[in-house]
Amino acid sequence: MPLVERQGLSLHVQLLGAGPPLVMLHGLLVGSVATWWFGAAPKLARAHRVLLADLRGHGLSSHAESGYGLASLADDLAALLPLAGEGRVTLVGHSWGALVALRFALAHPERVAKLVLVEAPLPPSRLTELESFLSATPAEQLAAVPDAVRAMAARSSRRGSKTLAQVARLVTTTTLLEDLRREPDFAESELARLSCETLLIYGDRSSCLPSGERLARTLPHAELITLPGGHFLPAEQASALASLLEERLCLT
Amino acid sequence: MNEAQVDGEGAVLAKVAKLLREVIGEEWATDVEITRETSFNEDLELESIEFVALAEKLQNEFGARVDFAGWLANQELEQIIRLRVGEVVDFITRCLSSSDKA
Repeated sequence: MPLVERQGLSLHVQLLGAGPPLVMLHGLLVGSVATWWFGAAPKLARAHRVLLADLRGHGLSSHAESGYGLASLADDLAALLPLAGEGRVTLVGHSWGALVALRFALAHPERVAKLVLVEAPLPPSRLTELESFLSATPAEQLAAVPDAVRAMAARSSRRGSKTLAQVARLVTTTTLLEDLRREPDFAESELARLSCETLLIYGDRSSCLPSGERLARTLPHAELITLPGGHFLPAEQASALASLLEERLCLT
Repeated sequence: MNEAQVDGEGAVLAKVAKLLREVIGEEWATDVEITRETSFNEDLELESIEFVALAEKLQNEFGARVDFAGWLANQELEQIIRLRVGEVVDFITRCLSSSDKA
């Protein structure tokens, strides 16, 4: 399994396909490389070198007590980028992963070709995702798990407990929640400077949709597209989202 | 079906089963019977990230001849959810035999 060492942590990545570099980032708590692997990633890999990364503390990356803020995770991303290959990278992120991509693009505009932000919540400290996740019933929480086999999740004690164990570990033994609460909002002035083309994809029933509308107004080269669904589009709308990304990133 | 094919398939099934046990990495998996009919989802309760890890192990085991991710890219999520070990074995066997001919 490919691992990248950084600050004593092992970050787990998966690489698919060949072509211009494209990195996909998942959301916090229930996310992992599987978020995109079972949907858009194999399709985008037909025309890209796709790098899927487990954020620190998630999936098969090692446990990290701290460093879940956007600047820290954007530095993790910078450490992984060489694996995706030369040239400007297309960044695709869901939820907090989308905010990491946005933070990275603002810090390193020369390295980014295109941004795709799926359900990026603003301001970051609003914890929309987390609040809606924690207030959901266990069945709803499992439905949000980006699991190719989630249809059986309700019956699945082993899988359900493993996923919820990751959530419990992150919530109780790391600074993740504190890092989220402390995360400053993006300034309108910095958003207005973003030079790359940006695709904003939101669920039409998601509480994050106003964030997408704000980004669509502020970012100079942004387009907002809605899909039927809520916050967990990569799971809820795996096929539709994969087709949309393939159409926008491979066929144009 | 000739004997060579049967042997090839049996060997592939044995390898897939071995890698699956490694990925699950729990005691019960050492003894559980893995056949062509075993469902990744219902029988093994494989977590999605374990499935990703299995795909990587298969790729390492069988090489570039077996494009597992590319195969999955052509399937709907619902098909992947219903996947049984035998379908993966058949896919690998097909890849190996067509690359032998080439």
